[in-house]
Amino acid sequence: MAGAAETALVREDTTGTEAVAGVAIALAVLLFAFDVGVLFDVVSIDGTIAGIPTVALLGGLLVLLGGAVVSFGVGSFLGYVETEPSPDAGLVAAAVFTLVWFGLGGAAAQAVAGGSLLWLPAAAATGGLAFAVAVLTREDLGSTLPAGAVAIVVGVVYLTGTIGPAWAWNLGFEQQASITAPFLVPVATAGCALLAGWAAAKAYGGFGARGRRMGAYLLVYTNAGAIISVLFVLIAFTAFRGIPGLLNGAAVGPGVGPSVSVLGVGVALPVSVPFVTNGVGLLNDFQGVFPAIVGTIWLVVGAVAFAVPLGVGAAVFLTEYAERGRLTQAVEVATNGLWSTPSIVFGLFGFTFLVPRFAGNKSLLSGMLTLGFMLLPLVLITSREALLSVPDEYRDASAALGVTKWQTIRSVVVPAALPGVVTGVILGVGRIAGETAPILLTMTGGTFVSRDRAADVIGGFAFTAQPPFVTNPELLQATTALPFQLYALITAGVGLGDNVSNPTEFQWATAFVLLLVVLSFYAIGIGTRYYFRRQLRHE
Amino acid sequence: MSDITQTTEADSADTTETADAASTGVDGPSATGRSSTETTAGETDEHVREEWREYAFEGDAKFAVEDLDVYYGDDHALNGVSIEIPERSVTALIGPSGCGKSTFLRCLNRMNDRIKSARVDGSVRIDGEEIYQDGVNLVELRKRVGMVFQSPNPFPKSIRENIAYGPEKHGDIDTGLLARLLNRSDADERDRLVERCLRDAALWEEVSDRLDDNALGLSGGQQQRLCIARCLSVDPEVILMDEPASALDPIATAKIEDLIDDLAEEYTVVIVTHNMQQAARISDQTAVFLTGGELVEYGETDQVFENPHSERVEDYITGKFG
Ligand SMILES: Nc1ncnc2c1ncn2[C@@H]1O[C@H](COP(=O)(O)OP(=O)(O)O)[C@@H](O)[C@H]1O
Ligand SMILES: [Mg+2]
Repeated sequence: MAGAAETALVREDTTGTEAVAGVAIALAVLLFAFDVGVLFDVVSIDGTIAGIPTVALLGGLLVLLGGAVVSFGVGSFLGYVETEPSPDAGLVAAAVFTLVWFGLGGAAAQAVAGGSLLWLPAAAATGGLAFAVAVLTREDLGSTLPAGAVAIVVGVVYLTGTIGPAWAWNLGFEQQASITAPFLVPVATAGCALLAGWAAAKAYGGFGARGRRMGAYLLVYTNAGAIISVLFVLIAFTAFRGIPGLLNGAAVGPGVGPSVSVLGVGVALPVSVPFVTNGVGLLNDFQGVFPAIVGTIWLVVGAVAFAVPLGVGAAVFLTEYAERGRLTQAVEVATNGLWSTPSIVFGLFGFTFLVPRFAGNKSLLSGMLTLGFMLLPLVLITSREALLSVPDEYRDASAALGVTKWQTIRSVVVPAALPGVVTGVILGVGRIAGETAPILLTMTGGTFVSRDRAADVIGGFAFTAQPPFVTNPELLQATTALPFQLYALITAGVGLGDNVSNPTEFQWATAFVLLLVVLSFYAIGIGTRYYFRRQLRHE
Repeated sequence: MSDITQTTEADSADTTETADAASTGVDGPSATGRSSTETTAGETDEHVREEWREYAFEGDAKFAVEDLDVYYGDDHALNGVSIEIPERSVTALIGPSGCGKSTFLRCLNRMNDRIKSARVDGSVRIDGEEIYQDGVNLVELRKRVGMVFQSPNPFPKSIRENIAYGPEKHGDIDTGLLARLLNRSDADERDRLVERCLRDAALWEEVSDRLDDNALGLSGGQQQRLCIARCLSVDPEVILMDEPASALDPIATAKIEDLIDDLAEEYTVVIVTHNMQQAARISDQTAVFLTGGELVEYGETDQVFENPHSERVEDYITGKFG
């Protein structure tokens, strides 16, 4: 051994201590997840779990967690646990601890001494102490003591009932604002769990560089997990509330569903979901949103059919033909600007320029074109990026075979760029399918539309002897779409008549169906992109 | 620079004489004691003589290049290159990197047109026809003069589509939907073409059972041979290769070298390489470019490697610089 500071090449068996720290991390993660549940009302804050009030349970877990973290730090400092700590906890950690303890000390003083200015010195004292511990003591103490102590203090506050489910702190603002327990408890608990979990992760790694990496991992994974869980909670929440309305009057059994013709033979489907297959009508047993679904689908199809060829064409011109210079820069700035333009402005544009030109009233076609214009800039931007990322080697190889530029673009460059283009369309459709403002101004007629007024675009085509030879009245009629219908349901609130027994259920079901429609477009997009990628790569 | 006595002798294209010169020539040029100064790059400063670049060969010249200058903006990349390249043979271009070998190669099928900053002066004739004049059909030129690039660049398509790509775009075979509907699809013809090109490129045995797989799934050496096969598909007369084996392992390289040997029976092959052993192994004649985009020496490969006229070329070949 050249020196005591030398790091061992092979870490000695540390299973025992790692297990302690591992349990602490698990505790922190559990607390965090539990907490998300409380925040989203999945777990009731004034209820009990296994006979223990929720807040008390949270407090107990926090005290346990804090205790584990602190004892691990002390154990390491006293040499019972083998670790490789740095001389101090680091400035960032010190700053965070200082802030937290500053707030904690201030709040405590405020609660004890009331409205006096005493809270300031108290806050400064606790903050300073935390800073000193973090900076002046070795890392194993410096990063565990302040973190663990926060968890213990907050836990004790919960356990003693100082802050209970009914607790509220009136801020004394003009607007009657107050911080209540259902908000404060989950947020504070999550903060403590993160802090203590980070300290536990550091301990798990044995402090030092490895410990810091572990701490960073914990934060990164928690962050990623939180993002994913927000998505799932959102979908689950909508599904939870929407499914009862969606399944209102639904039946499964041979022959109960609407009949469809397969190869000329009418076959009745074995499932019936009136909410999806019905419109709104006086004689309906169950009201549904069929016209709105059809309207949304046609809107998206029309907008994509309009924007994708234009956008890809413009991108091809800009990337492959135009000299890179003023023009391309100007177009780039313009497209980025267009993409950031508020949708209501697009709506107004459609209202002013498109609506008067097509039959003079709001129409499906105006809606399609308005959304198409909204989609265009994104398709252009992403197609351009995708075309630029096609390697020049393909173009060279093709040119060296004597193939013309246009043929090269068509047969090699655009196919290689297609997955990127599809990515752009996916993102764009996600935006436009849920737009309400533009279609409000350009497309939508009545809110509650009967089934026979659903847009039948394919059946609407008719041939005439005079130019333009093809007409389609369906495209020129106002119709409805899911986001608009949802908006109208919520703002109008009533108007569904007696046939809908539960308007809230109806609203949530509409929202859920909208989510499903958008997600299926998304799925179609992902599938398409996968298909094109398969064509380009070997698998 | 008084070394005329030796160089005039060796200038003859006669092989036996060159071989003789070669046996004594290892220490020959340097032993004659040229007056030369060294540049900082380790290259000696000498005056290039016209006769070092004269190479008499039997048969017809495929390319006749005269006073070719290429500029990239202000950068003078090729400096007055004149050279005649015989048909149905392998011509190697060697020289340190940045001396303009690729630039020269790209002049032969006008791929330099694709580089915006490039400007070409001078004359290149293929079978006596000037390719730098108005009215040249680039499609036809590039069909006749194919090119294989340094790094294998197959299209992200199936092996079959890669080979059939050129002929399909030129309308020589038609397997499109319309043709299939009208029952005049050339699918059989295409399959025969694919097989012939792959056989010629010595790849058929390895890929015949997976023609529909994506070409990017092949190994680097296979990809490069696929690129050669693709180049053969449009029935070229000349194949230009720019360091075709530089990204490959020794075994793949050996396969490509064998292939080049076979191809030279039917095609005129011009190959750039930075591997001197390779040039010596596979080429019939060698042209040496040195810094400044100058063609310094051109002649039979054995003569150039064993008994170069230019002291700089000798220094380069023996590895003193470059
Ligand atoms: N596309 C280009 N644009 C500008 N300069 C180039 C380009 N290609 C080559 N050059 C320049 O021309 C000279 C010769 O290059 P190149 O023909 O690629 O040499 P080599 O193939 O012998 O290594 C170099 O100085 C290089 O910097
Ligand atoms: Mg090169």
